[in-house]
Amino acid sequence: MSREFTADLKKRVEEITARYPSRQAALLPVLHLVQSETGFLSAEEERAIASLLGLPPIKVREVVTFYTMFTRKPLGRFHLQVCSNLSCSLADGERILRHLQAKLGIGVGETTPDGKYTLTEVECLGACEQAPCMMVNFDYHGNLDPEKVDRILKELK
Amino acid sequence: MVKIFLDGRPVEVVEGTTVFKAAQQAGISIPHFCYHPAFVPEGSCRLCLVEIEGSPKLELSCSMVVREGMKVSTQSPAVREARRAVLEFILAEHPLDCPICDKAGECKLQDYYQDYGLTESVFREFKEKREKKVRIGDQLILDRERCVLCTRCVRFLAEITKTHELGLFERGIHSEIGGYEDEPVRNGYSGNLVDLCPVGAITDTEFRFKTRPWFLTKGESICPLCSRGCNIYIDYHPGFPRIPGSAKVYRIRPRTNDAVNGPWICDHGRYGYVDLQQKNRCEKLVWNKGQTTTELSWDKVLIAIAERIKALRESSKTGRISLILTTWLTNEELFLIKKIFKDGLGVRNVSFADPAPGSEDGFLLKAERTPNRRGAMEIGFELKPPEMDGLSRDTDVLFVFGSHLPGIYRDGGWKAALEKVSVKILVTPHLNELASSADFVLPAAFLAEKSGTLTNADGRVQRIAAIARACADIRPEGQILLDLAREIHLDDAYFGALTGPEAVHRELVKDISFFGARP
Amino acid sequence: METKVLTKGFELDHLFRIGVYLDQGGYRAVKKALTEWKPEQVLDEVKKANLRGRGGAGFPAGLKWSFVPQKTDKPKYLCVNADEGEPGTFKDRSIMAHDPHLLIEGIIIAAYAVGIHTAYIYIRGEYELIARRLEGAIGEAYANGYLGKNILGIGFDLDLYVHRGAGAYICGEETGLLESLEGKRGNPRLKPPFPASVGLFQSPTVINNVETLASVPFIVLNGAAWFLERGLPKDGGTRIFGVSGAVNRPGIYELPVGTCLREIIFDHAGGLKPGRALKAVIPGGMSSPVLTADEVDVKMDCDGVAAAGSMLGSGAIIVIDDRTPILDVLSKVAKFYAHESCGQCTPCRLGTSWIHKIVKRMAAGKGRADDVDALIRLSANIKGRTLCPLGDAAALPVLAIAKKFKAELENAMRGNA
Repeated sequence: MSREFTADLKKRVEEITARYPSRQAALLPVLHLVQSETGFLSAEEERAIASLLGLPPIKVREVVTFYTMFTRKPLGRFHLQVCSNLSCSLADGERILRHLQAKLGIGVGETTPDGKYTLTEVECLGACEQAPCMMVNFDYHGNLDPEKVDRILKELK
Repeated sequence: MVKIFLDGRPVEVVEGTTVFKAAQQAGISIPHFCYHPAFVPEGSCRLCLVEIEGSPKLELSCSMVVREGMKVSTQSPAVREARRAVLEFILAEHPLDCPICDKAGECKLQDYYQDYGLTESVFREFKEKREKKVRIGDQLILDRERCVLCTRCVRFLAEITKTHELGLFERGIHSEIGGYEDEPVRNGYSGNLVDLCPVGAITDTEFRFKTRPWFLTKGESICPLCSRGCNIYIDYHPGFPRIPGSAKVYRIRPRTNDAVNGPWICDHGRYGYVDLQQKNRCEKLVWNKGQTTTELSWDKVLIAIAERIKALRESSKTGRISLILTTWLTNEELFLIKKIFKDGLGVRNVSFADPAPGSEDGFLLKAERTPNRRGAMEIGFELKPPEMDGLSRDTDVLFVFGSHLPGIYRDGGWKAALEKVSVKILVTPHLNELASSADFVLPAAFLAEKSGTLTNADGRVQRIAAIARACADIRPEGQILLDLAREIHLDDAYFGALTGPEAVHRELVKDISFFGARP
Repeated sequence: METKVLTKGFELDHLFRIGVYLDQGGYRAVKKALTEWKPEQVLDEVKKANLRGRGGAGFPAGLKWSFVPQKTDKPKYLCVNADEGEPGTFKDRSIMAHDPHLLIEGIIIAAYAVGIHTAYIYIRGEYELIARRLEGAIGEAYANGYLGKNILGIGFDLDLYVHRGAGAYICGEETGLLESLEGKRGNPRLKPPFPASVGLFQSPTVINNVETLASVPFIVLNGAAWFLERGLPKDGGTRIFGVSGAVNRPGIYELPVGTCLREIIFDHAGGLKPGRALKAVIPGGMSSPVLTADEVDVKMDCDGVAAAGSMLGSGAIIVIDDRTPILDVLSKVAKFYAHESCGQCTPCRLGTSWIHKIVKRMAAGKGRADDVDALIRLSANIKGRTLCPLGDAAALPVLAIAKKFKAELENAMRGNA
């Protein structure tokens, strides 16, 4: 079973493939594009993308499973990605993670039952001057403490 | 040419040769998992590291190209330590499966451990748990705990068959080989994955738990299921004395021949051979009119057949002998048939009943599904199918070699035609409905049980060696023919001197220039 | 001497808008290079300036450019390494966020020097918002004739695209980057051949870090001698050091190459919090071996830090004070490399995982005194034996921590069952 993409999506895929001499090179940008539309990449999306780019579907899955930003199952509307690397840890980043686990009632890698939040640990986000940090979808938030975290969550609609 | 030094020994190799290949040419073996001569060097197993004078780090011999004056050490303490370390890393996460793993006895990990490992296990952690029985093909099982991620299987399916059934998923220690959804590896060459896997990660379900490699003797032969003539090894268990039926061919494997099949064989041959070797074998002498089986013997049967032939010879009616042959016969057997029947007895009515051609697969499997059409042609036979009506009219004694006749005439018309032939002698390794129509059924050897040569489609004359012992009454066709020639006293001096297939081959070479020109 | 060169304009609002950028004298370097100099002259000047790569390896940029064959019937490519995955590093993000046009200028000049007509910025996927800002700036550059066909009317074409990664540190390794750009798993390639001859799409390719390219316009505008004055004879210019960890003022500090590490920590970054003592410093991103408190009088240039047994790397300084058990630092290091190993080669795939498992057990209170020796031995078995530098990046920090802080680690294990 393969998903049928809209004409608009297909057009955007072609715009991407035009940047490279090989269609396979468009795979990561296209995966980002499709994931931003569908929320996750199941076998249906894999097959559809494979067909558009002229690849065996297995090559798409090899890539999807290699990179941490691609997900094969749906995530919450707000993906809370807390940095667990050294500089954030030196600024007590663990406290942020514990706070979120307690507040949302979920563990790392889990999604709240209402589908609003997914909580994960990620590696260095490249914003160590504002440690501790987290990324909510694509938005960076730094200099966190539990109070600031609560304020951020309140703003998420 | 480039001159280098391998472990102190000067060696000359062609420019562009890798250190690994240079060592191989000099008879030095370097341990490796991911390297395979049919693939581009991968460089991921890190077992082939060697020391090169002037280089601060150990270098990969599989990908490093030789330079004039290079001094390579393949056995220095640093190299041995590096190998030991790689093996230690692999063994840390490798399951202790040897007692239940089919690969034991022919496992590279075991072999290298013996040579370069012998290290105490100091891994105190929990090993990764992975799936151990993943069905990835019709006859293939993947054990992910044993997999050392050499990726030979993935690369075979990418570079050779180009079918991409297997891929590499996840990252780091969680990396694993797998198929896409439930799609199996099914491309006509899947069996090669078992040979390729250096450990017991990919195994054959038909071979699983059945025997051990150290019980098997290995014979060199040629696959007969098409006219490509792929070179093979036959792995044969000579059997246990008190267990009937325990002697058998367990499997065949490719034997590398860069001029014929490279390092591969197709599934049609690989699995087909074992089937043909074991199933529907004709094992008993049969004389359908008269003698009970307990009193039957080869001598009696041969005498009886010889009588019929001698009778025709005396009345100058040897033209009423007909032959239906098969191009499964060896060059030597076809040559003997020519000398005895065509030259010796003047038999004219010779035709061939062979399995129908299939489709060629664009790689190894050819359309012709017999091994020796070319040989038969070069020996001077015209490869035409039998014309049954004419044959039944003009034949008193019919020899049928092989069991393919029913296959050519699907309407069963051959049965009625055969009714009209007085004496029908069937010489075959396999049984089918043809046997009940025959007067004499002579159990013949299958290819693993006889020696000789076959000529492949390119005209290459290749040897098969008898590795399996035929049971009880079974005899190679060559022997049957020589015994018959003796019985009818055709030319005792000539045939008496032919003591076996080698002697027949020498005569073949003398007689027919095509074979003389070939080694 | 004013040490702010690259970061001088960062205080300006909206420097990322081409109008503001041009007002500040932007794209003058491109005009000078393309209309007044021949490509070889640009390359020579960058060579003379001893601009060392600022991504981690410190390879001289001009020398790298010169490895690309002048005449080839294959297209040539420039890949900008904006993957910035080295823990502790955030300088490239700052450049791209505040001054994307500076990077674009550097790209244009580099492409002109080497004869490249297609360039890709490989930016880590997490920097999505930065990527959009870059795309905006690129759009402006095209609209103003600095990219596209016949730039400045001299017949030089250049197309520039942004290509997002998707969360894999190994894609910051140059051949891992190439594989990822080609739409595959980020598994590094065997070298040789080197990217300068066989790179992106099997063609000659230059891969440079963001900060490296952002330095190029200044070399063109002011000359190699000017650039060298601001650094050291063998290592020219200023560098953007990123300081994080147990300091009062974490942030980016642009300073001359060769500045003393102690000065950076205590003068510029405001030193440690009250009552704390310095325990250890990682000088160049997590992959660089740790320095103890009495090893911080080291000059921060490629050769100086190498002489001290570490590496300048990405210039990311992580400061650790005495409140942090060294086992915590070791835990983060072991976890990171085990997580980021691509899994291709045996020592890295299995070694980083084994080390991680040992350290996790130690952190869970089940460590034994001889575990530290095990870590040293395993690291030594990874070092120098892997397909790509991530093996060394994993092994050397563990080795340094295990050796330099052996006593503290072994003491922590004492008393375990």
